[in-house]
Amino acid sequence: MKNSRLHSSWTPWLFLAPFLLTFGAFIAWPAVRSLMLSFEQTFGPRTTAFVGLANFRFLIHDPYFWTAVWNTLLFTIAAVLVQIPAALGLALLLNRSDLRGRRFFRLVFFAPSVVGLAFVAIIFSMLFEKRTGLINGTLHSLFPAWDPDFPWLDQYVMPSLILAQLWLSAGFYMVYFLAALQTVPSELLDAANIDGASAWQRFRHVTVPEIRPVLNLITLLVVIGSFQFFELPYLLYHETYGNGPENKALSIVTYLYQTGFRSGDLGYASAIGWVLTLVLVGLALLQRQLTKREEA
Amino acid sequence: MLKMFSPGLWIVLLLAVGSSVLVALLPVQPRPGMQMWLFDLNHAKIANVIAADWNRDHPNDPVSVNLLTGDALQTRMMSGFYSNTPVADLIEVERTMVGQVFAGPVKDVGFMDLTGRLEKENLRAGINEPSFSPWTTRGHIFGLPHDVHPVMLMYRADLVEAAGIDVSKIETWADYFRLLRPLMVDLDGDGRIDRYLLNASPTSIYYHEVLLLQAGGGMFDEANHPTLNQAINVEVIARLVTWYTGPTHVASEVPVGGAAAARLYREGYVIGLLAPDFVTGSIRESLPDMAGKFKLMPLPAWEHGGRRTSVLGGTMLGITKASAHPEAAWAFAKALYLSPVMAKRLYEVAGIVSPIKANWKASFYDAPVPYFCGQPVGRMYLNLAPDVPRRPSSPYYAQGQQLFNTAIMQLCSYADEHKVYDEQGLMPEARRLLDQAQHELEQQMNRNTFLQADAP
Repeated sequence: MKNSRLHSSWTPWLFLAPFLLTFGAFIAWPAVRSLMLSFEQTFGPRTTAFVGLANFRFLIHDPYFWTAVWNTLLFTIAAVLVQIPAALGLALLLNRSDLRGRRFFRLVFFAPSVVGLAFVAIIFSMLFEKRTGLINGTLHSLFPAWDPDFPWLDQYVMPSLILAQLWLSAGFYMVYFLAALQTVPSELLDAANIDGASAWQRFRHVTVPEIRPVLNLITLLVVIGSFQFFELPYLLYHETYGNGPENKALSIVTYLYQTGFRSGDLGYASAIGWVLTLVLVGLALLQRQLTKREEA
Repeated sequence: MLKMFSPGLWIVLLLAVGSSVLVALLPVQPRPGMQMWLFDLNHAKIANVIAADWNRDHPNDPVSVNLLTGDALQTRMMSGFYSNTPVADLIEVERTMVGQVFAGPVKDVGFMDLTGRLEKENLRAGINEPSFSPWTTRGHIFGLPHDVHPVMLMYRADLVEAAGIDVSKIETWADYFRLLRPLMVDLDGDGRIDRYLLNASPTSIYYHEVLLLQAGGGMFDEANHPTLNQAINVEVIARLVTWYTGPTHVASEVPVGGAAAARLYREGYVIGLLAPDFVTGSIRESLPDMAGKFKLMPLPAWEHGGRRTSVLGGTMLGITKASAHPEAAWAFAKALYLSPVMAKRLYEVAGIVSPIKANWKASFYDAPVPYFCGQPVGRMYLNLAPDVPRRPSSPYYAQGQQLFNTAIMQLCSYADEHKVYDEQGLMPEARRLLDQAQHELEQQMNRNTFLQADAP
C-alpha cells in the first residue's frame, strides 16, 4: 500500500523529468542568467561588474540601438506588406485548376526556400554587383541609359534586403496559403458566383474569411521572423560586420550579436535581448487579442 | 518496481545511463606537445616546414600546426579566453580580431605579456617598431609581429605607358589624378566612363584607414583616446568624397576576389589600386595571365614632401596564458618568426616582407620580379618599411572604423544632395559629421568600466 502511494506520487515527476531537466537547463536557467547579466557589464562570462540599470539607461540613448530598431521595423513592415501579398498572389495563381504546369511552378516558386539564407546572400551579392552583376548587366543591355555601376547594395540597402528575402520566403509561405485555399469550400464560392459576386468580392468575402486563421499565423510568423532578421544582412554586408552602408542594414539581432559576441559585453547584449523579447511578447499578445476580437 | 515501466523503457533508460557513464569514464587524451592555430594557408605551409625542423630537434616539445578559418579561430580563441575551454599554445591573430582580445582588463587578456621578454632578450630593437603597435595595449605587447605590410600603388603599366604618361612626375594624389585623367574614357560608346583611376569607393572601409594614416590622421591617439574629429581627418574625408562623387569622380571599386574582380582587372576598369605587400602575392596567384602589365610605385603623397606609404592589415603570434609549455612556445615563436627561412619563404610565396630588420639585408628582396616588369618588389617595399605609420590598438578599433566610414558615406550623400563637389565646400559638413562620430564613440568607450579602471 505504502509502496503504491510512493509510486503514484513519484510517477508524474519521473515522466516530467526529461522535459523539466531540458527546459531548466536550456531555457529557464539561461533566461534567468541573461536577466541577471543585463544588470552587469562583462568581458566574457567571467569578468563582470554590477552596473544596475546602466545598460538599460544607455540603451535608451544609444543611437545604434535606435537605428537597429528603425531598420528592423522597416524590414518587418515591408515584409508584411510585400511577402504576404506576394505569397498569397502566387498561391491564388497556382490554385487555379485551369493553369497548366501547376506542379512545376509550385516547385519553382518553393525551390528558393530550400537553398537557405547563406546561399541567398551569396547569390544576391553577385546579382547586385555594380558592373558585373546580372541585374545591372541585364538592365544596361535592355536600356543603355541604365548605369552599369548602379549601386544597389551601397545606396539601396533595404530594398535589396527585402528583395532577397522575398525571393527566399514567398514560395515558402505560398505553400501554407495553397493548403488553406484548398480547404475553402467550393460550394460557397459557387453560391457567391450564382449570387452575382465579382471575383474580387468572392475573394474578399469568401476566401479571405475562410483562410483567416492561416493568414494570421503567417502574419505572426513573418513579424517574428523579421524581428529576428540577422543572417542576410550579416552575410551580405560581412565587411561592415552586418551594419551595411551608413548602418542601414543594422538589425536588432545583429547589434545584439556584435555587442555580445564581438565586443564580449554579454551584459549589454542581454539588455538588448530582453527588450527584444518584451517587444515580441507584446506583438504576440496584440495579435492574439486582435484574432480573438475578430473571432468574437 | 520492475513492473512500473515497460521493458522497452528500461532498455532506453539502461542505454542512456550506460552510455553516459561510459563517456564520463573515457580518459581524455591530452594532445602531445604544443598546438598552434593559424588562419592563412600560406602561413600554415611555412609554419609546417619550420615545425618539422623544430619537432626533429625538440622531440619532447613537438608542435602541431592547425589551420582554421578566421571566424572559427576567433570564436574558439575567444571562447577559450572567456571560459577556460582548451585553446592552442600559440595563436596567430589578425588585426581585425585583436580588438576583441583587448576589450577587457589587461589582466584578463588571454595572451602572455611579451614586453619584458622582448626587452630582456634585446629583440625589440631588432624588429620594425611600427609593427608592434597593433599588438600593444595600455603599454603591454602581447604578440610578435609577423609583417610590416607597407602599402604602395599598383598600376596598369601597360595602359599608362601606352598613353605616354611618365609616372616619375607624380608626387601627390593631385598629380596622379591630373596626369592620368586622359585614361578615364568611355570604351563602349554608351556615354559612360568605363575606366577609373583608383580602386576605392565610399564603402571601402579598409582603404579609408590606409589613406587616413598616410595623411597623418587616425582614429585614436597613442593613449587610445578617440580622435575621429581631428583637423586632418576632416580634410581627408572632404578630399575623399571629391574622388567618389560628382560628374567627374575618379574612383570606383572592384569587388574583393572572385571572377568579377578578375574580369574587371583584366578589362582595366581601374588603373591603380592600394597594394600592401601581400597583394603582390595574391594578384600573381589569381591573375597569372596579367604578368608584365602591372608595376608598383610609392603612394602619391597628400602634399609635397608627404609620406609615400601607409599600412594595411597585419598578423601577430601570441602565446596563450593557458599554455602548459610557455617557455617552449616562446622558443618556437622565435624560431618561427625570427627565422630567415620564414622570411624568404614568406616573401616568395606571399610577397610579404619581414619585420625583422636583420632579414632586410637578404639578397632575395633585390631580385627582379618578372610579373611586375622586373621591378625589385621586395626592396621597394622594404625601403618604405621604416616610414609605415603606427596604429594604436584600441579595443574600439572596429567601432571607430565603422563610424569613420559612416561619416564618409553621409558626406557623399550630402555632396550629391547639395551638388557640392569641392573640398572646401564639403569641410563644414565633414567637421559636423566627424564631431558627431567622435561623440558617439566617446559614449561607447566611456561606459566600458574595465578600460576606465586600466587607464594610465
